[in-house]
Amino acid sequence: MGGLWNWIGGLSSPIELSTPLGLAAWSVLAGVPVGIIALYFLKLRRRPVRVPSTLLWQRSLEDLHVNSLFQRLRRNLLLFLQLLAVALTMLALAGPQMRGSGVTGQRYVLMIDNSASMSATDVPPNRLAAAKEAARKVVDVMGSSDLAMVIAFSDTARVVSNYTGDRSILSQRIESIAPTQAATSLREGLQVAAGLANPSKQIGEGVVASSVITPKLFIYTDGGFSDVEGFSLGNLEPEVVVIGPPPPAYEPPAEARPNAPAAERPRTGNPSDNLAIVALQSRRDEEKADVYQIFGRVHNFRAQEAATEAQLYRHAVDKPGDPGELVDAIALKIPPQTDQAFKFDLIDPGLAPFEVRLTAKDALPIDNRAFTVVGTTRKAQVLVVTSGNRYLIDTLKTPLVEERADVAVKTPEEARAEAVAREIRGGRFDLILYDGVRPEAPPQANTLYFGALPPGPAYEKAKDVEQPVILDWDIGHPMMQYIRDLSLVFVARAKIVEPPAGSRNLIESNQGPLAFLAPREGFTDAVVSFPLIDGDAPNTTWFRYISFPLFVLNSIQALGNVREGSGDETARPGQPVVLHAETISKEIAVDSAARPGVRVPRSPQGTFIYQDADKTGMYLARWEPSGRLPFAVNLFDFRESDLAPRGLVPDGTPEAMQESYKIKIGYNPVTGTGKAPEVQKDIWWYFALLALGVLLVEWYIYNRRVYI
Amino acid sequence: MSPETSNIPEVPHRAPAGDPNSGPLLDPVFLHKLEQLELISRKIFVGRMKGERKSRRRGSSVEFAEHRNYTTGDDLRHIDWNVYGRLDKLFLKLFLEEEDLHVYTVLDASLSMDFGTPTKLRYGKQVAAALAFIGLVNHDRVLVDTFSARLEQGLHGIRGRSQMWRVVQYLEKLKPTGSSDLTAACREFAIRHPGKGVVVVISDFLDKRGYQDALRYLLARNMDIYVVHVLSQEEVNPDLVGDLRLVDVEDGNSAEITISAPLLKRYKDTLNAFVGGLKEWCTSRGITYIFTTNQYPFDKLILNYLRERGLVK
Repeated sequence: MGGLWNWIGGLSSPIELSTPLGLAAWSVLAGVPVGIIALYFLKLRRRPVRVPSTLLWQRSLEDLHVNSLFQRLRRNLLLFLQLLAVALTMLALAGPQMRGSGVTGQRYVLMIDNSASMSATDVPPNRLAAAKEAARKVVDVMGSSDLAMVIAFSDTARVVSNYTGDRSILSQRIESIAPTQAATSLREGLQVAAGLANPSKQIGEGVVASSVITPKLFIYTDGGFSDVEGFSLGNLEPEVVVIGPPPPAYEPPAEARPNAPAAERPRTGNPSDNLAIVALQSRRDEEKADVYQIFGRVHNFRAQEAATEAQLYRHAVDKPGDPGELVDAIALKIPPQTDQAFKFDLIDPGLAPFEVRLTAKDALPIDNRAFTVVGTTRKAQVLVVTSGNRYLIDTLKTPLVEERADVAVKTPEEARAEAVAREIRGGRFDLILYDGVRPEAPPQANTLYFGALPPGPAYEKAKDVEQPVILDWDIGHPMMQYIRDLSLVFVARAKIVEPPAGSRNLIESNQGPLAFLAPREGFTDAVVSFPLIDGDAPNTTWFRYISFPLFVLNSIQALGNVREGSGDETARPGQPVVLHAETISKEIAVDSAARPGVRVPRSPQGTFIYQDADKTGMYLARWEPSGRLPFAVNLFDFRESDLAPRGLVPDGTPEAMQESYKIKIGYNPVTGTGKAPEVQKDIWWYFALLALGVLLVEWYIYNRRVYI
Repeated sequence: MSPETSNIPEVPHRAPAGDPNSGPLLDPVFLHKLEQLELISRKIFVGRMKGERKSRRRGSSVEFAEHRNYTTGDDLRHIDWNVYGRLDKLFLKLFLEEEDLHVYTVLDASLSMDFGTPTKLRYGKQVAAALAFIGLVNHDRVLVDTFSARLEQGLHGIRGRSQMWRVVQYLEKLKPTGSSDLTAACREFAIRHPGKGVVVVISDFLDKRGYQDALRYLLARNMDIYVVHVLSQEEVNPDLVGDLRLVDVEDGNSAEITISAPLLKRYKDTLNAFVGGLKEWCTSRGITYIFTTNQYPFDKLILNYLRERGLVK
């Protein structure tokens, strides 16, 4: 039956029928009109009425019988109305759809941006609500055989709903999308969508996308992301619906204006109603050791000069989310669409979280607050295993190294003793220097080997070489920072080994690598393959040059998990935070304003990875007996703070310039639209309405004594 | 009424309050007006008793009619002796005799008359009572007969207004019964009443056997015939809806109809043809045809309409 309908539909018009009913159901439905006719003729119950005489009536009927067929039709008007209503209902059940082409249902992939900028209130009530509303409109006009999937994306993508045709579920799931404070990565979302939209892939809930169906991809975003390069959309037909106020009309570029200042940005974005703290750091004053400085930058995205006040609040360490106590404030006047720096000086406050708050009201409140922690230096825990290398030990006694690391020196015998061995296994040290000593098993720490190779089969095939000549070294790596004079270094003997897969060579010689970095289960082994001393005599002239202590210091910095107490390493909302806690316990607790006491287990690398930092603000990591490590999570994302929507071509833009306004996915510019696009509509409910109307007419005729 | 049709709901035809089918047939004010009226006949009929009307029969009254030659055996008392004195010939002086008028009222009391508000029967009773009153007041001989399947024995030969109560009592006791057979009733009437006079037939004429034979029996008696055709409003404008089985109250015959606009139009056409046919048949044979419905005020019918038609003056 359904096939028949489709055949009929295919014959005549662009109306197509897609029925969700099976053959059995249609057979039952086909019986309905037959039953009505049968009942009408067999069981018509006429109301008996007594009249004085049937004389005149019978004479009238005799006359009528002359043209009885037509009269019969008129007599059975109610029957025909019933049949018409049933026919229309059946048509409605057949699910006719107005559509240009295609036989099967459409697939929709609805990608909704829920990044931080989508919380902006410049589109009332906010952009995310507008995006959800637009997506729900697509769901509302979905056909009965259409399937849609919903993906929410910020810096990560999440499948909110798998392919389903159930519109109430889809609406619910769309409604459930909550705003995040994360950055935007369209690539993440596209990868998920493309993976699910590929032909013949199982796409969940038992539905297989076939290659015939090209899914329509709707991206609801404000365009706050970089172009996605090198990405193939494949089957997807993207349509970007830009949520946000429309861009102002096109203006000629700056060089066309004679008075434009030269320092103007190459292409400033369109203004938007936002003030944002885009950076915040704290650092000890270089000159005055007891003074801490908190300095940051505020960007004004408005087209007008903005006046606001930056207020400095001090928070309690143990209570993340407390309102804080006002410490200082600075009035700021920020020219349109530029940065303004600010700075607070503090007499050493000890360990304390601070917050800078802007008092201005704007469309995005998240970026008006920024957090930093003062006084959380962490020293690297370094163990040196040497049989008494004076050059090396002296190098580790410089003030800079002492400031940044706690160095323990042990002989190989001491290191093999049980007490030290347990500490090594328990991850007590960040970095272990093996000077010409090879441990029996790899330690639970980063290592730096001098003249020895790490244990393991990869290093079995070492060969001894004489007088290698250093040719090149990798100055791009942090361990080789400021190292310039290696070409002067002489090396008498070295062991050359083919570094294992994934290694990075640091120093190359004419006979092979002299130093390299090799990854090992989350740790890093740095290997310098020539010994420093050969017996009592030096094996190399490296000690004479400044590059040796620099290399040791760099190694401690890079491999020793040193934290200098500044906001250098900023945690972003939604991203995992790696915590280095000076403890050997299996887990620590992290308090946040929303969820205190989250247990975080130790990772194999000895760090603690906190996954729940999805809001900006202060967090506190705690461990027994009295360890406390506050850390800040900040937005600090220029793109998210820039609320001007991207992807819409302003009115009046010349043809040649239009390309630059479009969002590029792969190499294809995609034009954004400001409003939700039209989709194919089901028209079955028109028939259902008609059937209802016919029923009403029938009721009226029956009850209101209308004669035809 | 057949047992089969006894549980069939009737078309409501009685108003709940102020029942038009109860109360006196004639009210005193109306009666007073009726006293002014007089039944007339276009024909002069022979009555049995001397009455207040001129008769074509020559007789002994004061009003001279004509002379004629004496023949043997004539009553010598009527010889005009003055003429004999002058002409020496015997002439009889003839006078117009004054006679009473026979007023027959034949009222249909079949079940079909029991419809309408007021019922057609009640309406017919009122007309019959009014005519009887006029007749009685004028010393006419009044006869009231009713019929359904056959002619019933009614009131015969009452005279004088003092007898009015008998008429009223008779009519009020009258109940609708049986099916109507107009032909049989009229034949019996004609046999039973050989004398001439004014016959007023009050009926709805909804008789499937037709009315022609019936009226022919009356015509054969050379009577002055008036036909009062009473229909109810429900018959003129049927208030019916839907799929119906119409059941004839008299013979139980049923007709299945589905009310529609063409059927209603067809019914009205049929009704008009029926009424028009009866009227034409009557007027072409010297029968005065009076059509009325139960909605037409019956006093107006008597005071205005019958007067126009010449039944009363």
